[in-house]
Amino acid sequence: MKLEERLRGVRRSPWVYHLNSGSCNACDIEILDALTPFFDAERFGVKLVASPRHADVVLFTGPVTREALPKVVKTLKAVPRPRIVVAIGSCAVGGGIWWNTYSTIGGFEKFQGVLKQQGVEIDKVVYVPGCPARPEAIIYGLLLALGYVKQKVSKVVKVVES
Amino acid sequence: MQISRIASPLKLLTIALKVGRVTKKYPFGPPLLTESFRGAISIDPAKCWGCGACTLVCPPNALTMRLEGEKIVLEYFKGRCIFCGMCADTCPANAIIVTKEFELAATSVEDLKEDVIHKMSKCAICGKPFVATAEIRDVMKMQPITEEYANICPECRKKRAVKAFGMRFGAST
Ligand code: SF4
Ligand code: SF4
Ligand code: SF4
Repeated sequence: MKLEERLRGVRRSPWVYHLNSGSCNACDIEILDALTPFFDAERFGVKLVASPRHADVVLFTGPVTREALPKVVKTLKAVPRPRIVVAIGSCAVGGGIWWNTYSTIGGFEKFQGVLKQQGVEIDKVVYVPGCPARPEAIIYGLLLALGYVKQKVSKVVKVVES
Repeated sequence: MQISRIASPLKLLTIALKVGRVTKKYPFGPPLLTESFRGAISIDPAKCWGCGACTLVCPPNALTMRLEGEKIVLEYFKGRCIFCGMCADTCPANAIIVTKEFELAATSVEDLKEDVIHKMSKCAICGKPFVATAEIRDVMKMQPITEEYANICPECRKKRAVKAFGMRFGAST
C-alpha cells in the first residue's frame, strides 16, 4: 500500500507518542501546551499515549544526545509502520545551539543515518523549527504530517544586484 | 455535607460559563501571537552588504557564509535559528528584520534554507576577489575618504604602505 493510502487511515485519530531525546524541556512543555484545552489538539483526535507500540505519530524533541541514542533507536523500532515523525524544535531539526557539541548527534537529519544502519525505516518526517516551537507551529507541523495543510516554505535564493 | 456535594458541580458550571470558551481555533482562526513574539528573520538583498557580521553573532550558526568561486553566499538555515534577533541588532545595514512567521514546518531540511548570493569585487592591483561589491558601494557612501583604498585588497594595501614607509627612509624601490 502506498504511504498516502496508509496515511488516510491514520488521519482520523492520530495517537501521538512524545519522545524526548535530550531536549532542554522547553519544547516538551510546548507540546503539553498544544494538548491542553487552550490549543486543544484533541480537536483533531490527537491523543497522547504512553507506549511507542500504540503510536501513529512520534513527536520528537531534542538533538539526540549520545546517552539517549541507543534508547531512542529502540523506541523508534517499536513504533509500528507507517512511522511518522514530527521533529520539533531547532534542536531536533538542525542541532540548534548544540550543533557542534561533542555529546550530541546534531538533530534528526543526521540521526537518520544511524537509523538506516540499524535498519529502522522512517516513512515520513516533518521538521518544525522554533526554539521552542510555538504550540500553533506544533499543531501546524502535525497537520502537515497528516496532510491537512499545505507546506508554506520552500528554498529561497536571493541574488544581490550591484 | 450533602448540600456541598450537589453544589460543587454547580459551582464549576458557573465558573465555566463565566470564563466562556478559551480554545483557540487555529488553524481555522487567527493564531495567538503577542506583540513581543519573534519569528523567522528576513534578509533584504537590496540592503545587505555581505559583511558577515551577522554570522559572527548568531549563537547556533544558523547564518553562515561561504565562498563559491567568485561569489559570497550568505546562507540562512531556518531549521537551526533560535529566533533570538541578535543578527537584526548587529547588522550595520539594517538589512535584517524579524518577522512574525512561525508556520515553517517542512518535509525536507533543504526547504528551510535561504541563500543570499553576492558578487565579489576584484583588487585593482593583484586582481584577486576579496570583498562583496555591495559592501564597497555602501561603505564609500558613508566614508568618501576611503575611495582611494576601497578597490585594493588588504595585502596589496599592506605592501603599498611598507613601500611608502621604506622610501621615506631612503630605500631605492
Ligand atoms: S529547540 Fe530550543 S527549546 Fe527546544 S529543546 Fe532545543 S534548546 Fe530547548
Ligand atoms: S549586511 Fe547585515 S545581513 Fe548582510 S552580511 Fe552584513 S550583517 Fe549580515
Ligand atoms: S535570529 Fe538569532 S539564531 Fe536566528 S539567524 Fe539571527 S542571530 Fe541567528
